Amino acid sequence: MIVLLYAFGMIDLFRQFRFGPTLEHYAEFFNSVAPSVFARSLMMAFATTVLCLLLGYPLSYYIAVKSGRRRETLMLLVIIPFWVSFLLRTYALMTILDVNGIINVMLLSLGLVSEPLNLMYNMQAVLLGMTYNYLPFMILPLYASMEKLDKSLLEAAGSLGAGPARSFLHVTLPLTRSGVGAGSILVFVPAVGEFIIPQLLGGTESFMIGNMIWTLFLRARDFWFGSAVSIVLIALVVVMIALYMKYITKGEEMAI
Amino acid sequence: MRKIGDRILQGYSVLLYLFLYAPIVIMVFFSFNDSRLLAVWRGFSFRWYEMLFADPTVWTALYNSIWVALLTTIVSMVLGTMTAFVMIRYSFRGKSILDSSLYFPVVIPEITEALSLLLFYVFTGIPLGGLTVAIGHIAFAISYATIVIRARLVGFDRSVEEAAKSLGANELRTFIHVTLPLILPGVIAGGLLAFTVSYDDFIKTAFTAGPGFQTLPLKIYAMASRGGVSPQLNALATVTLVVSLALAVVRLRLSKA
Repeated sequence: MIVLLYAFGMIDLFRQFRFGPTLEHYAEFFNSVAPSVFARSLMMAFATTVLCLLLGYPLSYYIAVKSGRRRETLMLLVIIPFWVSFLLRTYALMTILDVNGIINVMLLSLGLVSEPLNLMYNMQAVLLGMTYNYLPFMILPLYASMEKLDKSLLEAAGSLGAGPARSFLHVTLPLTRSGVGAGSILVFVPAVGEFIIPQLLGGTESFMIGNMIWTLFLRARDFWFGSAVSIVLIALVVVMIALYMKYITKGEEMAI
Repeated sequence: MRKIGDRILQGYSVLLYLFLYAPIVIMVFFSFNDSRLLAVWRGFSFRWYEMLFADPTVWTALYNSIWVALLTTIVSMVLGTMTAFVMIRYSFRGKSILDSSLYFPVVIPEITEALSLLLFYVFTGIPLGGLTVAIGHIAFAISYATIVIRARLVGFDRSVEEAAKSLGANELRTFIHVTLPLILPGVIAGGLLAFTVSYDDFIKTAFTAGPGFQTLPLKIYAMASRGGVSPQLNALATVTLVVSLALAVVRLRLSKA
């Protein structure tokens, strides 16, 4: 059914193209802000993925080496934020980053700043929001791959004289590669098309593909140009999904 | 040396958990604040909740959210169970394609799903409204429901079905009296997930609702993007959050049963 819907969507996208003055729309695409918006989205998604990986890897490791109930509880604490929608979590971030939010109130009362800081409506806020929202998507597959890791291999590396750094680089990291791959795709792919977070936390400098598609379809009602942008996004997604299929793990079943 | 490393890791993990939870806890906490100020505590009060529920558009949004989610749940439960059965018990051409397409909605950017729905409706000329929202939710919630129900079916012991049949029960009787009660927790868990997917959805709803149809997430988004942060919106977000969490807890219980 989904495939059917997609097929319909695709046919329609191409139909819009064929009947429109095609080349003109391609020209319009390349002369517009679209390429730079795409570049920015890819960059933001990439930065989010790297941040999630750097932040999530140690935590996944911390959970994976625990045992029994402790491990279950810690894992549950990662899963709970999944149960809260992106919209609510992004709004929650807004309440603390706001000009009158808790961070500014604290900074002002401590005398660290004399004027409230503008923490929102910029690129950093969007990056923070994306990392905050996508972090559990990274941790779950990472944890799944670490859980399977045979601890005796680490002991073997240790008894053969490898220090912690060496055994991490040569044993742990290669063996959790599938988790890193799956987590990165699970974060990167949806992050490229993210809409809510840049819309609520960002300004004009953090306008992403998702915002562009939204504006073109729901505000400007420019279906032709909107379709051009969407086809490029969908093509990107298809390539990334092909990659994802290679890395399919149990991570995402745990997530839901 | 090892000990210090462990300490650092532990401290780091505590901080990261704090990062995950602090914004949500603060948002909920200040929804009970008896002050117009966002982050200065003036005592406990329900005033924002009273104000919220005096607003008829909130009730309409809640009503819309619930009927769309209920419809999504029922249809996804039925179709999800059927799909899960087909995938577990039969092998057919294109099964692997169906299998991987189940994961599409889990991973692709939601905006492309929303777009394909909108274009589908424009293409077919179906007028936008509550029903188009529900159809859109169903199309994608089936995937989630199927994944959950199928996970339940994997460990199913078919010998009990054979026993029922050898005792003279026909297919239908076997299904109703033997199979269904055994897989029911999974089916309900799948349905609850479908409810959550629908209830929380923002982007697909925004694209397919047309003017005049509002669900809770649409209402929250409209308030957040127009007026920014307010204690009243904290209250609305908290109400929405409580429902999502309650559903998830029931789902967790079922998956452990």
